[in-house]
Amino acid sequence: MNANPPTHFRFIYVVLWASQLVQIAVAAPVDFVRDVAPIFQQHCVHCHNESKTSGDLSLSQSKGLRELDLIVPGKPAESSLLDAIIAEEGEASSMPEEGTPLTLKQVEVIRQWIAEGAKWPADFVVQQKAKADGTWWSLQPVAEVSLPDAKPTRSSHPIDLFIQRRLNKEGLTSSIPADRRTLIRRVYYDLIGLSPTPEAVAEFLADHNPDAYERLVNRLLDSKHFGERWARHWLDIAHYGDTHGFERDKLRDNAWRYRDYVIRSFNADLPYDQFLREQIAGDVIAPEDAKSVIATGFLAAGPWDYVGQVETKSLKIRRAARALDLDDMVTQVMTATMAMTVNCARCHDHKLDPITQKEYYQLTAVFAGLKRSDRVISEESRKAYEAEKTRLETAINRVEVEIGQAEGRVFNLADVVGNGNGLGAGKKDLGIDARSGKFQDRPYGDLGNVKPGNYAGCTNQFIDGVFVPAGERTQITSTELFATDMPANSGKAWDMIRNGPVSSQFSTTFGEIDYNLNGHSMIGLHANAGISFDVNAIRNVMIEIDSAREEVAAIKFSTVVGYGGKTVAPSAEFRIYLDGELQTSQRIGRNAAISVDFQIPQKAQFLTLISSDGGNGYGHDQVSFGDPHISRTVPLELTVQKKQQLAQLRQERGKLKQELATLGEPPILYGVVAEKPPAVHVLLRGDPETAGEEVSPGGLSWSETPRIFGDQQLGEGERRLALAEWIVDPSNPLTARVIVNRLWHLHFGYGIVGTPSDFGYGGSQPSHPELLDWLAAELIRQNWSLKAIHRLIVTSETYRQASLRQESAVVQDGTDPKLVDSDNRLLWRMNARRLEAEAVRDSVLAVSGNLNQTMYGPGYRDFVYKEAYAPIYTYKTADSPELWRRSVYRFVVRTTPSPFMTALDCPNPANLTPKRNVTTTALQSLAMYNNDFMLRQSRYWAERIQREADEPDAQIDRAFQLAFVRSPTKLELASARKLIADQGLLHLCRALLNANEFVYLD
Amino acid sequence: MKLQTINRRQLLQQTGGGFGWLALQTMLRQQSAQAAEEKLSDHPARAKAVIQIFCPGGMSHIDTFDYKPALANRAGTPFDPTGKLQFFGSKPGNCQPTFWPFHQHGESGLWMSELFPKLAKHVDDIAFIYSMHSKTALHGPACFMMNTGFTLPGFPSMGSWVTYGLGSESEDLPEFVVLPDPLGLPPGGTINWGAGFLPAVHQATTLDSRSGYQPINDLFPPKSFTEVDEKSDQAGLDFLKTLNSQHLANRQGNKDLEARMSAYEMAARLQLSAPELTDLTLESATTHQQYGMGDEVTEPFGRQCLLARRLVERGVRFVQIYCGAENTQAREIRPNWDSHEDIVRDHGYWGRVLDSGASALLNDLQQRGMLDETLVICTTEFGRQPAAQAKRSTGRDHNAGAFTSWLAGGGIKGGVGYGATDELGFKAVEKPTYCYDLHATALHLLGIDHTKLSFYHNGIARRLTDVHGHVIPEIIKSL
Repeated sequence: MNANPPTHFRFIYVVLWASQLVQIAVAAPVDFVRDVAPIFQQHCVHCHNESKTSGDLSLSQSKGLRELDLIVPGKPAESSLLDAIIAEEGEASSMPEEGTPLTLKQVEVIRQWIAEGAKWPADFVVQQKAKADGTWWSLQPVAEVSLPDAKPTRSSHPIDLFIQRRLNKEGLTSSIPADRRTLIRRVYYDLIGLSPTPEAVAEFLADHNPDAYERLVNRLLDSKHFGERWARHWLDIAHYGDTHGFERDKLRDNAWRYRDYVIRSFNADLPYDQFLREQIAGDVIAPEDAKSVIATGFLAAGPWDYVGQVETKSLKIRRAARALDLDDMVTQVMTATMAMTVNCARCHDHKLDPITQKEYYQLTAVFAGLKRSDRVISEESRKAYEAEKTRLETAINRVEVEIGQAEGRVFNLADVVGNGNGLGAGKKDLGIDARSGKFQDRPYGDLGNVKPGNYAGCTNQFIDGVFVPAGERTQITSTELFATDMPANSGKAWDMIRNGPVSSQFSTTFGEIDYNLNGHSMIGLHANAGISFDVNAIRNVMIEIDSAREEVAAIKFSTVVGYGGKTVAPSAEFRIYLDGELQTSQRIGRNAAISVDFQIPQKAQFLTLISSDGGNGYGHDQVSFGDPHISRTVPLELTVQKKQQLAQLRQERGKLKQELATLGEPPILYGVVAEKPPAVHVLLRGDPETAGEEVSPGGLSWSETPRIFGDQQLGEGERRLALAEWIVDPSNPLTARVIVNRLWHLHFGYGIVGTPSDFGYGGSQPSHPELLDWLAAELIRQNWSLKAIHRLIVTSETYRQASLRQESAVVQDGTDPKLVDSDNRLLWRMNARRLEAEAVRDSVLAVSGNLNQTMYGPGYRDFVYKEAYAPIYTYKTADSPELWRRSVYRFVVRTTPSPFMTALDCPNPANLTPKRNVTTTALQSLAMYNNDFMLRQSRYWAERIQREADEPDAQIDRAFQLAFVRSPTKLELASARKLIADQGLLHLCRALLNANEFVYLD
Repeated sequence: MKLQTINRRQLLQQTGGGFGWLALQTMLRQQSAQAAEEKLSDHPARAKAVIQIFCPGGMSHIDTFDYKPALANRAGTPFDPTGKLQFFGSKPGNCQPTFWPFHQHGESGLWMSELFPKLAKHVDDIAFIYSMHSKTALHGPACFMMNTGFTLPGFPSMGSWVTYGLGSESEDLPEFVVLPDPLGLPPGGTINWGAGFLPAVHQATTLDSRSGYQPINDLFPPKSFTEVDEKSDQAGLDFLKTLNSQHLANRQGNKDLEARMSAYEMAARLQLSAPELTDLTLESATTHQQYGMGDEVTEPFGRQCLLARRLVERGVRFVQIYCGAENTQAREIRPNWDSHEDIVRDHGYWGRVLDSGASALLNDLQQRGMLDETLVICTTEFGRQPAAQAKRSTGRDHNAGAFTSWLAGGGIKGGVGYGATDELGFKAVEKPTYCYDLHATALHLLGIDHTKLSFYHNGIARRLTDVHGHVIPEIIKSL
């Protein structure tokens, strides 16, 4: 700043000004956007903007100057703005306070602009200039770096060459190698997230081959657990969850497929460029390839506001919610892949990085046609799934019948009404029309065209026929048997004869049993209707087909008859006939639960059930037959041959059911559906209600030349494909750097760049820029193989060194690394690290012997779910094998996160989490020490140890080996003996799980 | 008053802790703003602690604090004759005056409706901000905004920011405690009191205010787990200490390990302090009666308020109480203030609850001389419409355009109304203000300059007040 201008300044100034006036005048008329705005941007808006309004002035928008009367359009002389930017004699200009003063030319441009009327185009906002421009380090092409020279006797591993060169420069050396126990524990957790078993440790310690460690690393990289471990890291970046979040936090039953995709991709070492391509545009690249489509679950992984996007009637609210939705998608994709915080450019140009607001909306345009939703993975997969399911169900049905015949099992008449075989093949709630004998799916009410007394046949082999009874005399079998004692009725009928309740049935509970629940069944028979079953056909199924026994076993019919309507007074009548002879009948109301149980003589052919209104109107006359069974009166005796046949059939049934289970869920994915993208505009100040210019889909250019993927007509899929290809283009300076840095961060606990999702001005600078570039280039040379980079990192001496620095080894030439580099950014030792919540939980299950290694599929739910407007999630103790799967399979609820996992620093998936917090709190100690899950696992672990070792000392050793992969010291052994003797083994186990050694890696 | 500095020697004396205790404290402090030796303030604090009452669902300002006599003149006429407006869930019905008559109260003569007869006696202690508005009329995002300054989930809540800035005064209790309504969680769930990207030590500890329940998760082993008792707990901890000490011996200088050891000691102290804290039998019968205990409607919230007072008394920095819930299966009345179909029924119920608890809290704090140093804030996420909703015109729809928040104690000037809505209460028109100004003012009273309390996250130095916020001097008592 010009603090002490010479006293003759004014004189000179006037002269200069007069002479320059001539030169400048040719630029007239002044264009605000071209000429004035850049001056404001360079000198003024840093302090005078919408958020920082020094002196209550904002120069971002035109109203700022007007409101403070700083300019009088057309009258520069009366405009005080000029006084502020022109220096008085002997003084500096009062503005700008910071930075260089305006040049005379710039002052003149402003003067002329005021003179010409100070025109400021409506809505034009002067943006602050970003602090970084296109020359920012991370935006430069990945440099071709040659390896530092190797020194004799030192490691020639590429990573070590870079790290040691830098250490040497600071006068530091690396630490000694970690001992083998420490190393195996470290590399196990890093690569697969689990502790080595004592057996694995013993094997490694005994392996004296020089490549023992390399082979160990290869085994771990090939382990199925590798993908489980590393998928969890990627899911943090994708802020994956299994519910929507926000107010109505509904279940996303089909989100898990994406989680599985990530696990499988990492296990298969899918090239990273393809991994990104598929996640952004997999449905475009290969719409019939299930894996590729499932990958796009990435785009839908974040939260979604059901109330804002669907429920509200206000379009304005919907637009606002949609804007936030797209922001979430854009932010996730760009920070995950390129570590660019584009979301900061939503309301204005990025203040730190060279990202314009317009570019933010170009990116938004890429995703503008997408909606998060459940979707069929592909038509083909759906068809294939359904065909296979039908095939299996048919086969199971056939085997069930054969087994039922062989066993002589209960024959269920309700199942027959559902067009089944009496053994469970019928369809719940299916019905038969009493007028025609046809099966019907949908509910009916009052039926028209009813012909009382008409008898209709039925296609099901176990049903002889159906009818609406006439009064007095009515036909009840195809053989023209008649009931001749029927009460008069209204002649009306309601709904179908159902395998379940009839439509609008008030209750299905009779005598405290709800016959509509699993394990029970019922025939809903609204007055007036009747049905006759073919007892011969049923008997044939039930008879043992055994030539040795001619005698047909005795069978019986049993049911509980109830009234499903509201009326308490007896108002409907049921009647049961055998071959036209009345067995029982009663008039019943709301509280009835009539048990019926009678033998069916060998000669009997037809069993008939009738519901009649008895003449007092048919309203609410919902007669129900609960558990209507025909069964043997004496259990079947099985011959040896029969038993063998049964065993075979059961085996076949087991196999088929297993196949059906393997077939799994229908091919539905929580992902994105594409529509034609709407026009996308720059939203002024980020407000969805004030649209600015329309933009085309595009990316970031970090320069004046925009990077556009096509015009506004570009198809939805092509937009995402273009974005994906731009991101994974080897010339993109960020993508490869960002992912190798993430891997580094996760292996060492601190990235080469300390802010893994921000490679901009606000982030931190690389500690080893050349190493970062070399690794990025290496990734591409290795055909984007992430496992290649993992292998490279964990086989370096840098990774294998001790985290404890022996004091004697610390000093070289008197340099204490703790003084030079206390944060260990230069890696003169390995970093000790705390296990994440998931690794802690998995380890607890692993040592207790309970870890369920089932991979893939819907997540485990360690909570009770209650349906409500805003669903209720209540956590329960995970105390059964299906809840003992690895934590990556946890069903993640957004609004109600697991308190146990949260206490252990598991992040909420509302946030994109490139770097987890590690905190120490009393609540954590309480969770580890007192939580029911922890206590029960301590108990299971104690039981396991008791099974595996007899003597207390052996038990103690086993426990230490499992938890810490080492034997106890003498002192520990003595204390442990005492603890076991006083309190029991459980308490040793509990304490070990709480030890620092259990949750820290050296 | 300097709140945050704790003299090391004092600390040792108070706690009887050892070196590990210091390590933990150091670590806790490293995770707070002073670690960077940020100077957060250039003025003295007026308040030591905050009790925030949150009424989720959208409390109607029109039926409670914001007197709109003009509505009575237009009663029964269409609110929006043009038919263009579309509210959250309905088209506007007719103009609907307040369901409870308003009266002037106190020396200030401020208005309050008959829904709050007890609270009305405190108008001269309260500053009302009549011109609050929100960026959204959706419960979830609006609750997030009121709590964190952002409509998106995942940002740190005010309580987290405050404790990040000031740390704790209590050695035995958490610094930030939330008491959800016993019915369930508010819209958006626990994210409302999350620490977002701030270190998780600043996330709230949830306190279950129900009698007979463990107040804090895992405070003690479950009773059903019979193998453990106090003796075995202690034996286990002793053994753990042996293990950890040995482990540490080779790893001197690793402060994290020491801190984690001390966390177990702190947990043990919490096991002593939390039951004492929640033992309300230590309170007098008068106090019980004052807080509405023994009445099934007013007791649950009364317990929350009384616990809040006890927490603040014991040095807890920030207490948030919820008056209403969202994820419940309650059927007969709305479980919160979201009165779309029956204001009289639902505000009637919740009004009685709030009136009883909040007035008792103010009384109690006053009587104990704590009100001057305790900032009490009462807010909701948005207001309700001056037009009627529902078939029988007995409800009101969401209104992001206007609502009322109030503050008392902790340096607040009482008997003041700040800002105003239009004559119908549809929009804040005079000095309209988002949560930012309320947050800025609260931080100011705690001695924090809201523009200086920041944390770097994903490319930006984040603040509770984003890039906004002005302290409202009109509601601050002059020194």
